[in-house]
Amino acid sequence: MSLMDSLAAGFALVGNIEAFLMLFIGLVVGVIAGAIPGLSATMAVALTLPFTFAMTPINAILLLLGVYKGGIFGGSIPAILIKTPGTPASSATILDGHPMAERGEAGRALGMALYASCTADAVSNLALILFAGWLASFALNFGPPEFFALILFSLTIIAGVSGESLLRGALSALAGLLLATIGLDLVYGTNRFTLGNPNMMGGLNFIAVLIGLFAIPEIISMAWNPVAHLGKTRALGKSRCSWADYKNSFKSIIRGSMIGVFLGSIPGIGAAPAAFLSYSEARRTSKNQANFGKGEIEGVAASESGNNGVAGATLIPLLALGVPGDVITAIIIGAFMVHGLQPGPMMFILNVDIIYGLFIGLIVSSVFLLIVGSVAIRGFRFVADVPKRILMPGVLILCIYGVFAVNNNIFDVGVMFVMGWVGYIMMRNRIPAAPFLIAFILGPLLEDNFRQAMLMSGSDPIILFRGPITWFFWFLTCLTVFAITRSTLRKRVPLS
Amino acid sequence: MSQKSLHLRLGIVASLFALFLMFYAIPNYVFAPSNVRNIILSPKFWPYVLAGFTAFIGLALLFNAVTSATDTPFEDEETGHPEGSAPWMRLGALGAIMLLVMFGLPLLGMVWTAMLAFAACAFLFRTRHPVAAVVCAVVVPLLLYAFFAHVAGVAIPQGEFVRLP
Repeated sequence: MSLMDSLAAGFALVGNIEAFLMLFIGLVVGVIAGAIPGLSATMAVALTLPFTFAMTPINAILLLLGVYKGGIFGGSIPAILIKTPGTPASSATILDGHPMAERGEAGRALGMALYASCTADAVSNLALILFAGWLASFALNFGPPEFFALILFSLTIIAGVSGESLLRGALSALAGLLLATIGLDLVYGTNRFTLGNPNMMGGLNFIAVLIGLFAIPEIISMAWNPVAHLGKTRALGKSRCSWADYKNSFKSIIRGSMIGVFLGSIPGIGAAPAAFLSYSEARRTSKNQANFGKGEIEGVAASESGNNGVAGATLIPLLALGVPGDVITAIIIGAFMVHGLQPGPMMFILNVDIIYGLFIGLIVSSVFLLIVGSVAIRGFRFVADVPKRILMPGVLILCIYGVFAVNNNIFDVGVMFVMGWVGYIMMRNRIPAAPFLIAFILGPLLEDNFRQAMLMSGSDPIILFRGPITWFFWFLTCLTVFAITRSTLRKRVPLS
Repeated sequence: MSQKSLHLRLGIVASLFALFLMFYAIPNYVFAPSNVRNIILSPKFWPYVLAGFTAFIGLALLFNAVTSATDTPFEDEETGHPEGSAPWMRLGALGAIMLLVMFGLPLLGMVWTAMLAFAACAFLFRTRHPVAAVVCAVVVPLLLYAFFAHVAGVAIPQGEFVRLP
């Protein structure tokens, strides 16, 4: 199929009001969820997922991508106004955004955050369109040994999402890998940890585990301390972001976008490091270096472009290799599977219309984000004032309906509750939940490819090193492990 | 809590869990066909590998705790930590609500159970808007029912008492 044919197929799929409406609704939901402290973009994507079951795959994925992109931008609103980042990636925005809000320039900071986000989003989408297809055509040569090596490398994502302790992240990942072994054996069909319960033979439901880990712990935290969220919201102020502000920060925005694209396309790095790297680069090269940290608008532009530049680029490994770039794309992989699609190189052959439909939708999403974001900035007060002690019971009810709807099975609701308490215990013990989820998704793929490779070779492990592609991924894995170990040791906190 | 004490605790738990897996859970709850001679292809192989790694990480956590020179608490440890037994009682109450939801879903149906759970949670969280909470407790489950039952075509449990259209 030629490029024009693929584009035409994509247009045929998304060239209707419903697809764009879903994208728009997704952005609205994402921005609102991101703007409410305590409701992260991750939680928003997870909670939206059950609403997509009745949709066509393209509409469902567009809705979720809208929530993802909206959530990343929405996170900057509480970061600037109440010094509480809606997403970890917005942490860098606090450095200059909040001092600007304290000076009465919240409107200007939010405006710059929006324009930088939209620009970076467009650059990131362009990178996705240019590189995903190329990478997928390369990945068509992969067999089970190559996929095993790739997924093993992808598990190094865990280092990126482990937060303050690599050991606790690894422990979390192992728990996820172990939980993924529940169900019937992939090759022989025998029971593994099913305890004789037929509900567990198909393994634990991904959405029940996901919602349990990311939404329920927030509700349990609310029971532990119902007043922890109370804070003070700042006024928008009268100043607005001008064309001159944008022009002066344009270099930092483009540089931040490139940093975001580069780091986002590597599984596991995530948006937060991209935002901080972009911020530090902007500070290093800026004429207003001394103002950084005291309310410099270029600082807001740099950090927001860094974290939004990641959003499209994390979809490169997802679409081309079937490997999640971060925790939100891990959830989106689940959405693909729920709709009977398997992201990866074969998708560029079997579902090329969906791929190009997504590309078209993503390009439009940058424009929609500009519209939704402009309104959200003005309406932020209503969002920030949602009483959290009514919101959280609502989230609980949404979780119950959503998880039940996956398989029409009350057992899944029980799994969600149990995973919620597991997630809460992990949260109290500072064990990150993201490695758990990523390992839960990648675990069966890793084991499946490993055993297929062993079956192919008559159990000879040499097959795992059979050619340049496997060598390349083994080299990357070793390099990443070496880099992680070295950076951990440099911090003088051994392996922690 | 300090990192040292946290790692000590996690290290002990992880090591014990790995032993539990290796000597009890895997032998008793993972079944392998008797004709599988090669351990690498056995359904037990992967769980054993993971149990081994869990033991390794547990030991690494213990080693880290023992060799850590400093015992300073985490910098961002929760401020305004609620005192007394009230938080624990609220946690227990939330656990009880979740348990009752599980029993209530087949008996009362999802909508009525959700209404009761919403109201109970809002009051458990000491809402300052009780009227709004009651209104939301009625409206939100009904709206979700309307969407899932009539738009998404999900067979929402109706219970044994009052059935909705």
